[in-house]
Amino acid sequence: MTAILRIESRNRVRSSVILTGVFVITSLFFLAVFPAMRDGAEAIEEAFPEYMMGLFGFEELHTIEGFLGGYVYPFIWVIFGGIYFAYAGAGMIASDIEHRRMDLLLSNPVSRESVIIQSVASLWVPLVVLNLGMAITLFGGVQLVDETLDPVLLSMVHLLSVPYFLVCAGIGLVLSVSVKRVGTAQVGAIGLVFMSWLIEGLSEMGETYEWLGTATPHRYYDSTEILVHEEYALGDAVILMVTFLVLVTAAVAIFVRRDI
Amino acid sequence: MAAISLENLTKRYGDVSANDGITLAVEEGEIFGYLGPNGAGKTTTIRQLLGLIKPTDGTATVLGADIRNRKALTEVKADLGYLPDDLGFDERLTGNQALDYFARMRGDERREELLELFHPPLEKKIETYSAGNRRMLGIVQAFMHDPELVIMDEPTAGLDPLKQDRLHQFLAEETASGTTIFFSSHILSEVQRVCDRVGIIREGQLVALEDIEKLLDRSGKHVWLHLREDVIESEFVTEEMINVEITDNAIQFTYTGDYNSLLSHLTSYEIDDIEISNPQLDDIFKHYYSEEYTEDS
Repeated sequence: MTAILRIESRNRVRSSVILTGVFVITSLFFLAVFPAMRDGAEAIEEAFPEYMMGLFGFEELHTIEGFLGGYVYPFIWVIFGGIYFAYAGAGMIASDIEHRRMDLLLSNPVSRESVIIQSVASLWVPLVVLNLGMAITLFGGVQLVDETLDPVLLSMVHLLSVPYFLVCAGIGLVLSVSVKRVGTAQVGAIGLVFMSWLIEGLSEMGETYEWLGTATPHRYYDSTEILVHEEYALGDAVILMVTFLVLVTAAVAIFVRRDI
Repeated sequence: MAAISLENLTKRYGDVSANDGITLAVEEGEIFGYLGPNGAGKTTTIRQLLGLIKPTDGTATVLGADIRNRKALTEVKADLGYLPDDLGFDERLTGNQALDYFARMRGDERREELLELFHPPLEKKIETYSAGNRRMLGIVQAFMHDPELVIMDEPTAGLDPLKQDRLHQFLAEETASGTTIFFSSHILSEVQRVCDRVGIIREGQLVALEDIEKLLDRSGKHVWLHLREDVIESEFVTEEMINVEITDNAIQFTYTGDYNSLLSHLTSYEIDDIEISNPQLDDIFKHYYSEEYTEDS
């Protein structure tokens, strides 16, 4: 029974391609700034107050790895990518219920568990399209500014972002099965992902509130660590995957019990 | 075995009972009319039968599966067709793509045959469909897997009279070959024309459950008369006549006694013209909804 997976995957192609296009163009703009940044990095690092450096995770901005890890990925990938997946997750169930599609869908011999699992599985489309689009763009793009990038590091940045995106989608999904209106779920999911990014960034400023950041998915994915320090936090990726599975399980538990 | 069986089915939202202890059974191969005005609780019953909402009390079985048993209910849905009142298709799909989608979940062996009777523009996107075309697409998806039971909620909404007739005829053929139809509607004449039995629901309660024929018998005959001379009410009207209306020499009423007593009563009058007919279900319906009827009139 893969009818839902097929149709949901199909429905995601368009938004995934458009978003990849936006990300690619934005990345190229960022790269165009890099040569100036390379020359003036020291001045920039001095100009920013320390908490700003912590919030965005700036390090080694004069190297391409530091620039991508501190500028391009935190903005485009972590914030906007995360928001997209939260939004996509929030739109899954609530939208079908609101537009009465769920009535017709559930008149078929398909369980509610299967509806959720197939909908979540359809996220393979944006995951593949966005990752490939960005990775290829940046791999080729850095050569335009006379730099090179280790393809292994680049692959790891993308690979380890998958669990992070899935957690963002999971947050959206739980909201999607819990509230009545799809708009509420989507705004709520975007707000939560953005807030947790902010909390994580601010929590790193002092030891007092550092623990707060451990409750955010952003703590467990750090592009600078991968690109600059070549450290792959596989344990963190596992934590994210487990969180994602817990969120999906919670969403199923809520969805099978509720009235539609 | 009953195709659908409701036992004290109750759904409450706070203090409001959308369904209040409904008990009825729909036999295999019959076409059962579920009649009531908008807001009476018809769709609430249907959505419970499909497992979309859970009963507050009581239960029901659909093709033998208890609606509280999600797994069993999901399995029997392979033999179930559903035509909702509000047809939620994926608007971005064409008619063909939508049918393909449902076919992957439950088959479509009768698709071509149905498309000869009901033919929405399959190549076009559903977002461009008229109400009639959406309804036709809904009918095709509800029957294309040759289900044993079809639950229809206001099935003729949006269909032109020609297509309505075609649907009524089609339903008669389907039940003749053993399919059970649960036909929910607020249109009385339609239920009268199509259904074998009818359950009338009012404010969440089942107020009548009878054969259409018996309901009509019990409700008396509609009599219309033209006498040679003006009607003298005190002289002419008997206990068995209700809803009497007199205009000069014309009189119409509902007669609740038997034919013979009516005919012997009439022999003492000079009659110009007479018509005796079954009352429309509308009249009976007014009886069950007398409160609302008096308010409206």
